[in-house]
Amino acid sequence: MTNRRRNLFILLFIAGLIAASAFVVATKPTKLGLDLKGGTSLVFQAKPTKQSQVTADSVERTIEIMRDRIDKFGVAEPEIQRTGTDQIDVSLPGVENADQARNQVGKTAQMYFYDYEPNVLGPGCKPDPTNQSVTGGPSAGNGTGALSQYDAVRRASTCKPTNTGKETTRGAYYLVNTKTEKVLAGPAETRADLTAEVEASKDKTVAEGPDTEVVKIPQGTVVVAAEGSGGNPAGRYYVLKDQPALGGLDIKNPEQNFDSGPGGTGAPNVTFDFTDKGKKAWQETTREIAQRGQENFFGGSANNAFQHFAIVLDDEIISAPYIDFQQNPDGIDAANGSEISGGFTIKSAQNLANLLKTGALPIRLELISSSQVSATLGKQALDQGLIAGIAGLILVSLFLLLFYRVLGVVAVGALAVYSLFMFAMIKLIPITMTLPGIAGLILTIGVAADANIVIFERVKEEVRAGRSIPVAISQGYKKGLTAIVDANVVTFMVAFILFILATAGVKGFAFTLGIGVIVSFLTAVLLTQAVLGALGRTRVMGHPSALGAQSTRQRFRWDYMGRSKTFFALSGLILAIGALAIGNKGLNLGIDFTSGSRVVAELNQSATESEIRDTLTPLGLRKAKIQRISGAEFRSNEAFQISTETLEPAERGQVEQALNKEFGGGTYSFQTIGPTFGNTVAKGAIIAIIASLIVISSYIALRFEWKFAVPVLIAVVHDLLITAGVYALFGFEVTTATVAALLTILGYSLYDTIIVFDRVRENIPRMPRAAFSQILNRSMSEVLMRSLATSFSTLLPILALLFFGGETLKDFAFALAIGVLSGTYSSIFIATPVLMHWKEAEPVWRKRRARVALANAGEVPAYVTAAGGAATEVDIDEAKKPRRRLTAPDDPNMTVGREEFQELVGDLGLEDEAKQAPTATAEPDEPEPGSGADLRPEDLVMKDEPKTPKPKRARNRRHGR
Amino acid sequence: MAILAWVTMGIAIWHFAIYVPDRYWGGIVGSFVFAAFFSVLFGFALTGFTIPPQDDVTLLTALEGIPGALIGLGLSYFIGVRKGNVAVHV
Repeated sequence: MTNRRRNLFILLFIAGLIAASAFVVATKPTKLGLDLKGGTSLVFQAKPTKQSQVTADSVERTIEIMRDRIDKFGVAEPEIQRTGTDQIDVSLPGVENADQARNQVGKTAQMYFYDYEPNVLGPGCKPDPTNQSVTGGPSAGNGTGALSQYDAVRRASTCKPTNTGKETTRGAYYLVNTKTEKVLAGPAETRADLTAEVEASKDKTVAEGPDTEVVKIPQGTVVVAAEGSGGNPAGRYYVLKDQPALGGLDIKNPEQNFDSGPGGTGAPNVTFDFTDKGKKAWQETTREIAQRGQENFFGGSANNAFQHFAIVLDDEIISAPYIDFQQNPDGIDAANGSEISGGFTIKSAQNLANLLKTGALPIRLELISSSQVSATLGKQALDQGLIAGIAGLILVSLFLLLFYRVLGVVAVGALAVYSLFMFAMIKLIPITMTLPGIAGLILTIGVAADANIVIFERVKEEVRAGRSIPVAISQGYKKGLTAIVDANVVTFMVAFILFILATAGVKGFAFTLGIGVIVSFLTAVLLTQAVLGALGRTRVMGHPSALGAQSTRQRFRWDYMGRSKTFFALSGLILAIGALAIGNKGLNLGIDFTSGSRVVAELNQSATESEIRDTLTPLGLRKAKIQRISGAEFRSNEAFQISTETLEPAERGQVEQALNKEFGGGTYSFQTIGPTFGNTVAKGAIIAIIASLIVISSYIALRFEWKFAVPVLIAVVHDLLITAGVYALFGFEVTTATVAALLTILGYSLYDTIIVFDRVRENIPRMPRAAFSQILNRSMSEVLMRSLATSFSTLLPILALLFFGGETLKDFAFALAIGVLSGTYSSIFIATPVLMHWKEAEPVWRKRRARVALANAGEVPAYVTAAGGAATEVDIDEAKKPRRRLTAPDDPNMTVGREEFQELVGDLGLEDEAKQAPTATAEPDEPEPGSGADLRPEDLVMKDEPKTPKPKRARNRRHGR
Repeated sequence: MAILAWVTMGIAIWHFAIYVPDRYWGGIVGSFVFAAFFSVLFGFALTGFTIPPQDDVTLLTALEGIPGALIGLGLSYFIGVRKGNVAVHV
């Protein structure tokens, strides 16, 4: 295929994609994350139960049930996904009551029916069905005859374990205070779970001490709360023999209804049918209950003789109806189903019906993180993100136009196409857009522009070297592609690792970054190449000034390597200050790592930090960290961030109420992170950083050589530590977004270093007489402009994020800005000098350096100088051309002949050495004084050097003719 | 946090190793590894091989990284000299 046809094909292909993208953008909706449209996000950790272990299957089943529940609650576009092995992330757009959401979605909903009287255990762990002081008699289940929680736990702990196969638990652990006779924590399935619960508690009285005791209730006995006592330690509790007659799986079709039968109260209730197995068990159980009532009836009011069954949901009796033995002497016919009534509102009856409908969760769920964003704040954050994106695009476009003229116009066009493609991809996949996702998108604008800058600078170099514009364009793309591929692969790998290991919030960022890298390659390389290929011979591109390459630029020749000591010292000082700041102030770790609650409150009336503290002090939050925050997403300047220890849902309500009362209302968003989640985030961050370093250094070692990978790692460590030092110095909060920023810095720092090292790799075989420091100086002077331009183009969208991105993205953008600046600096002044010091110590380079010094009065000049007009560079392209064999070797044992070797030496500009080294087998490690034979021909070839093309054989034309 | 302070200080000190003729074992990279490793090791030794809780990290903690880094650099240099490394004057 000719170039013209190829360009035409690419342009048509891209035009087709543009049309398809425009269609997708026009027809598909954009999926917004909770932080952009408001809602509740919950993260649960799965815990095993007696019936089920935490396995991939049980977690998947749980997710299915949760999805069913959410559908029934009518939440639009919920997202439920598994994170790691045992965590479930639930996003509920539009739901602003985190507590209600937690109850609706994460409730285990284990329901059991107990034949009540024979299973209530009295003193000595013995059932006493006729003793009303144990069962409560006609008031069964509502607290009469029940015990305090402490006494109930104590009584239950004395019972003997059973193993009939009907038990619902393996037993339970409680922490009790023997002095105050209170239950401090529990029930927990295991001792370890109890310890974790105690450690996670913010209540300081909940801790193991001299007055506390861990009490174990054996399998076969349960402590259940009386009706209306659930979750209240001061409530009343019964001890039951854990032998339920039916379980939640034995019922079907639960519905919210009204008690509208004869004599009905019209109150809301829950009706249900039984499964075939349930019908049988129900009939038998109610028959037994009725018969027992009949046996206990000795005249008088039958009410006193009625026996009950108890419906227990998640360790609380929710209803304990009696069986009228006079009406149902043979039990209740299960064909008509049954009902649960008493104390329901319509909403609570609907909730219970829905819970029963979807079934119990196979595993227990513990809420480890919750956050809630108001719709108003979400909308404002979205507006800010979009403004930042547009500002970033405009800034980068202006820079490209000013710097690259016609090339800039092509690049801006490519950026516009890139933006369209990305938008279409986001809608098509669909990617849920979150605030970090928008940040990733904006950052990829800079990355897309970087690819163009790398190529355009190369094209300009070729033009200045005297090549025609079409040839310069062709060569620019050819030579610039390697660096772009390497840099994009590295960025993609970082995005991939981040996506695999990061928490849900950062995943969006990683995904858009990864997709952006792929799409940018399509638009910034393929599209621009096709456009420029088509324009190359037109008048538009007729003059070098159209490319911004009108004059031969005098390269900025600076002794980068010679001055590296000064910059090393500067970096050392900056790091020392950073270390002192880390020691003195430490990193301000956010609640993502330390656990706790964060409230963002935008108040209607003016307030100060101390006034807010005074308001919160009565709620026990005197030590809360309160700071005024600003940002365009807030309507007023009265926005505050309040960081506290973990707040329970009820406490969150109290905070909101207190602030509303004092400051005339406001808008609130809450976030609560449990310690488990904090540990997961911290562990994930460390693993992500280490994994990135390993994978990327392996890639660089493979593409360059392993000695190039180590300085890259040192430079990356340098950038990360400087960023950490700056964070400590200014006290910025470290959040999960910061971790994402750090990993991006890691990728970006490598991008810059790769551009420098790529040129070094190219120059090594070109400069066979130069010392390594001279090669580096030369490479640096060639790519400095490229490096600065790419950094600047990446910095522009980051600055847009910093100034327009709102409060949430400000810290993220700040970390990125520091990292990009540090990355550029370290590529030039850390990675390259380290490489120089390390390589110069190699014998081959040491000897070459000695030879250069000898020829220059003991000094190694910063740059290679041609003496007497002798060539200092080798045209590698020319040298690589296949050539005929001149002679047969003189000695059959030699690989090349004398004349052949002489010609090779001449090509490489090593005539002097040829006199000293008559054959190719001369030992280069021990050169004669003044000899330049310091490298063998194979030493001049880097790993990725293309192999010498095989000479074409005459085609066998007999075939196929 | 203490480890971060020690290693940052150790690497900060390493930056000045460039002023000494490079006879380090493993060259400049060897000196980097020695400085970083010994700054942490020395810090640990000072705290009785425990990681100080975050509240106990002070300005002094960062300074504790200095002797370790210097010991590491010295050791790397000593081994280099013993192994006959010749200084590269860059």
